Amino acid sequence: MKAAGLLIASLLLAGAAAAQQVKWNFDKLAARASDTVDVSLDGSLLRFATKFLSDDDKDQAKVKKVVGGLKGIYVKSFEFKKPGEYSAADVESFRAPLHAPDWQRVVGTHSNEDGETVEVYIKNDTKGIGGLAIIAFEPKKLTLVNIVGAIDLDSLSELGGFSGIPEVEVDKKK
Amino acid sequence: MAPLEDELKEALRRREPSPDFTERVLARVAAAPVRRVSQPWVRWVAAMAATLLLAAGGLEYRNYRGERARDQVLLAVRIAGSKLNKAQKKVQMLTHRSIS
Repeated sequence: MKAAGLLIASLLLAGAAAAQQVKWNFDKLAARASDTVDVSLDGSLLRFATKFLSDDDKDQAKVKKVVGGLKGIYVKSFEFKKPGEYSAADVESFRAPLHAPDWQRVVGTHSNEDGETVEVYIKNDTKGIGGLAIIAFEPKKLTLVNIVGAIDLDSLSELGGFSGIPEVEVDKKK
Repeated sequence: MAPLEDELKEALRRREPSPDFTERVLARVAAAPVRRVSQPWVRWVAAMAATLLLAAGGLEYRNYRGERARDQVLLAVRIAGSKLNKAQKKVQMLTHRSIS
């Protein structure tokens, strides 16, 4: 009985670990942000959602293919009314869990045009890429992405500019 | 005319009910048999209608949840893809510049 309980507990813990590959604390930023986008899809919800992606729609069919084998997608995006609402220390706290040997920073870019910095991290596992994390920030916006599972980076990048996106539900503060 | 008026007045005169009126009414109500639907098909139809309504409601809710989840997937992919795309383009641009 005790062993069964331990087994169930460890399975639940394993599930929770798979769901939260990167543990970021957003509380401070959420309080300061004017608009927030929050997408949190674990494996089961993701599988459920893909059933509603149309095969007839070219873009949705591509998305279906890309997210098909994933175990979770988590996106948090904060928009601020003015620059300086988040600090370098805040960004550093988001970088902190993405350290070697589990995580590897593969790309870091900065644009002087719009002041946006994009950092891409991948998590390697025995079969290849086991996860992706993106930290993107510009003076009035900060976005964090964690994709759990084997992801094809080129296919995901291709989908960056596709059009068939519905209205976004954004938490707006008045 | 006067006798007729008197008769009418007498007939329509306000009369107080007897003190046990309320008790008698309540006793009759309690004693009256409850009417039950005797036909079994009525119950079957009602049960089937309720089941169909529940199923339709459940299906509608499932679709609502599914479409909402699908929209979230599309949004997440667009956000993640656009950031990745931006980084990739920047790298390609710099690589191209350094080669040429």
